[in-house]
Amino acid sequence: MAKKFKTTVQRYNPDMDDSPYFEDFEVEYEPGMTVLDALLYIQDKYDSSLAFRWECRGGQCGSCAIKVNGTARISCRTKVNPDKDILLEPLDKMPIIKDLVVDMAQVTYRIRRIRPYVARDKPPQRPEIIQAEEIEKLREIRKCIECSACLSNCPIVAETWDYPGPMIIRQLARLQLDPRDVEDRVSMALDEAVYTCTTCKMCEDICPKNIKIPSLAVELLRAKAVEAGYPLAAGQQGFIDSINKTGRSVPEKDAPLLQTTETEEFLVDTPQGRVAFFTGCLIDYRMQDTGRALIEVLNRNNVDVIVPKEQWCCASPAFRTGDVHTGKAAAVRVTEIFEEVAEKYDLDEVVVACAGCGKTLREDHRPIIEEMRGEPPKFKVYDLAEYLLDVIGEENMVKPKGRIEMKITYHEPCHLGRGQGVVDQPIELLKMVPGVEYIEDPYKNRCCGAGGGVRAGLRDLSMKIATTKKEYIEKTGADMVTTECPFCTIQIKDILKGTPIETKYIPDLLAESYRKGDKK
Amino acid sequence: MEYKTIVCDVLVVGAGGAGCRAAIEASNHNLDVIMLSKELLGKAHTSMAEGGINVALGNVDPKDDPATHFKDTVVGGNYINNQELVEILVDNATSRVYDLEEMGAVFDRTPEGKIAQRPFGKQSWRRTAYASDRTGSEIMVTLVEAIRKSSVRVFDEMFATKLLVQDGRIAGVTAIDMKYGDYLVFRAKAVVMATGGAGRIYKVTSNAQLDVGDGYAMAYEAGCEMIDMEMIQFHPTGMTRPESAKGRLVTEAVRGEGGILLNSEGERFMKNYYPQVMELAGRDQVARSIMTEVIEGRGSPTGGAYLSISHLPKRIVEFRLESMIEQFGDAGVDIREEPMEVSPTCHHFMGGISIDTDAQASIPGLFASGECMGGLHGGNRLGGNALCDTQVFGALSGENAAKFAKEHSLTGFDREVAKQEFDRVEAMLQRKDGISPADAREELNNLMWSKVQIFRNEEDLEYAVKELKRIQKEVVPKIKVDVPIKRFNPGWHQAIEFAHMVTTARMVAETAYMRKGSRGAHYRVDADPDDKGYYNIVIRKGDDGEMDLKRKDLVITKIQPP
Repeated sequence: MAKKFKTTVQRYNPDMDDSPYFEDFEVEYEPGMTVLDALLYIQDKYDSSLAFRWECRGGQCGSCAIKVNGTARISCRTKVNPDKDILLEPLDKMPIIKDLVVDMAQVTYRIRRIRPYVARDKPPQRPEIIQAEEIEKLREIRKCIECSACLSNCPIVAETWDYPGPMIIRQLARLQLDPRDVEDRVSMALDEAVYTCTTCKMCEDICPKNIKIPSLAVELLRAKAVEAGYPLAAGQQGFIDSINKTGRSVPEKDAPLLQTTETEEFLVDTPQGRVAFFTGCLIDYRMQDTGRALIEVLNRNNVDVIVPKEQWCCASPAFRTGDVHTGKAAAVRVTEIFEEVAEKYDLDEVVVACAGCGKTLREDHRPIIEEMRGEPPKFKVYDLAEYLLDVIGEENMVKPKGRIEMKITYHEPCHLGRGQGVVDQPIELLKMVPGVEYIEDPYKNRCCGAGGGVRAGLRDLSMKIATTKKEYIEKTGADMVTTECPFCTIQIKDILKGTPIETKYIPDLLAESYRKGDKK
Repeated sequence: MEYKTIVCDVLVVGAGGAGCRAAIEASNHNLDVIMLSKELLGKAHTSMAEGGINVALGNVDPKDDPATHFKDTVVGGNYINNQELVEILVDNATSRVYDLEEMGAVFDRTPEGKIAQRPFGKQSWRRTAYASDRTGSEIMVTLVEAIRKSSVRVFDEMFATKLLVQDGRIAGVTAIDMKYGDYLVFRAKAVVMATGGAGRIYKVTSNAQLDVGDGYAMAYEAGCEMIDMEMIQFHPTGMTRPESAKGRLVTEAVRGEGGILLNSEGERFMKNYYPQVMELAGRDQVARSIMTEVIEGRGSPTGGAYLSISHLPKRIVEFRLESMIEQFGDAGVDIREEPMEVSPTCHHFMGGISIDTDAQASIPGLFASGECMGGLHGGNRLGGNALCDTQVFGALSGENAAKFAKEHSLTGFDREVAKQEFDRVEAMLQRKDGISPADAREELNNLMWSKVQIFRNEEDLEYAVKELKRIQKEVVPKIKVDVPIKRFNPGWHQAIEFAHMVTTARMVAETAYMRKGSRGAHYRVDADPDDKGYYNIVIRKGDDGEMDLKRKDLVITKIQPP
């Protein structure tokens, strides 16, 4: 007997149905089966009128993008897990024609609006000499098959068509990078709202061609804009000026963590590890208790923590908004500081408290340093949860004992999940706390709207994205949402004001459980 | 049935490589051009072409020239190509490839910054220009960019069902709007057919969903002369597993870059068949060699051969065969480390609508290009010549359709014929008892795969012809649609397609049955040794409504058959 699984498909024929509805089908599993195979099975066995698009079944044509369990993907390259039911819906933002087939007119119109071809001011010589290096950068970005899945998943497009979406911004970058194109693609990108992207990487994550749209397109176009002298939004420039002046992106308010800690060294009796702690601006200047909690959690797990007194901003706000100059300077400075500490204290692991900083150290600093001196930074970067579970290991951890009787959900920071590949570890930490009932949010990995300079530069849009996030969180019915990034924490706290739902940074929650456990 | 009429100067049916190129060319002549696409713009089968496009630039091997390209194409085609058409192909390939580059295509480069070229089967020199192993996609993306710049009006998800002919001249087509189910007549002064192939009449194929032979059937029914329909290319390397990926193309570039074929005993068996050229023998030759190994018990577990590239540096594989890494990665095979399992898959129709040197079919005002056109590739198409065909003949058909449209006024059309066509497709929706298209298609696929395949014989072909006549008479009129709605109903689309598939399949079987000797891709195990096969077979719809087959002399300009 072949294994069967349930496939729920959204049906809708506007001629006959008042509104969309769902229909369940039993599908027989076959090894290697894709979502497209499941749809073809349903069409063959149950209902030949079920409408969905497909052509090549090999990830080359880009016809078959639909929402699979809430996330848009091309169905021919999405494998079925026979142990899980699947839910299939049409792409978001596009009007439904029938069932899973949507009207792509808006996309076509938006593409045509950007003059999406190599514009020339004179006919080329034949043959045209083009060096391989000139088109090397084009190779990746040109693989797009226009499946439009990224448009459906984009949190900005979800709020406004002012932004044409990742796929179309990518085409602008493709043309900007083409040595033959004579149009001013930078001003065009500004007109197409390139600064509205939060760099949440949802597009990159589901792209069937793995195109790194946030870095190869969005940040590239922003960097070209800065280079061309276009000013940043006041809020964004404020951060960058502050970084260059003080090494911190925000002004001092309460007594900073690094100034109030009396020592660099937080050592334990029998260490099973030793790390340096990169605090980031918000922990140092705004969330000092969280910083202390993080040190405490590590110490309780018998890990020595070194907190260098002199630290410098990772310059994430500069990288995200296109100020490459500030970004590079910060990369050099941060690397110097932590390599010095690593040598002095004989360690090679750095725990970063903030998802944005961690992503920046890994994805931005590392290649820059490697390109500059032919060798990457001499230390490895970890998120707290990742360090505890992957390096120390669950069996060597000292578990928290104090009960916290709460329903708790989790917001996965974009720059932790998709930025650093840390997805399950924070949730495992949560589940370790006695009394916690963990509630899975199917939209836990959706952007809160803070990143990419959007909170700083476009507060209204940022709040709209956050409001959508709030709806997802409220739907879980949890008493508390936890996360692993100070920036997300601040944004979510803001939007949840006036609701009974608490927002907490995971080290704080852990420290609370440890302290409660001590009292018993 | 009610329908709406849309008028233009030049109508292009099909929106793949040839259709887009024809539409762009025609629109350069200050004419109103409509392009009908059965799929969304840019999703055509051309995007699945992988290895490259042949053009004798001589960038890597300076001795290459169009004359050698001509010779390779004719020898590779087993001498039955229309040599006038081959001359057009080789003489225009360079300009058409530069056109693509001017439109924005990004081909891989030589160290001097010229277009790089790789070796492909049966070619004297490294001639195949490429963009990694996604050349078709690169060309499709480029043409779509150019269409978006042009004045061409694109009607996508529009299913053309019948050619309208008035007083011996083309008048337009009937079509169904797949999105909303409306009936439409498109009238034009000239029509270009660029409807692609029909791999889907076979059970195992590399072709996209839409390649069901609409164009062959429409042209035949309208009275066009069709040529070389028995010549079907089975690409030697299709995927064998998983089931859902069966038949998916494994590009010839794998062998071009140095991939070797092994049997279950680890023997590089091509040395027993074609020791001079080994894996780069003709596609028909490699396909037969693999199948012989399988039949004689030296096949892989899934009934194919092993194709290995793991002896090459990983960097080269990653740079030049990126799609293959992705495609086999999905099947759990890392081609940098392990061999692929491959077996033949129905890939390309060498035959099709017969054209003259203006790309005009036997109906005035009707032009054809790309895979739906026949005669150019003879008995076997060289890898890399299909993309070249789409560009050279796409442009030629577009240009001559434009000329025709300028010289002629719009002709009228018989409203009764249009009405009858819409009544016919409407009847499928109303039919209560009958046969579902899914079942009918399965029967057809199996019949063609088992009886009109790589190794052919008299008995199988006779049976196939008889069966196809029966299917045409008994099944086609009984096709019914389960759910009688017109709005985006794939069941209805398949029902309409089925008649086209059967007509196409019958042309293949009838011509294969008529040709008693082996020639090119048409291989008879019981070949008549007296039939050297140096002729073409053409088909027309006879006055009695039956298929009228004739032998026709070869068109030779330079190379005499041996």
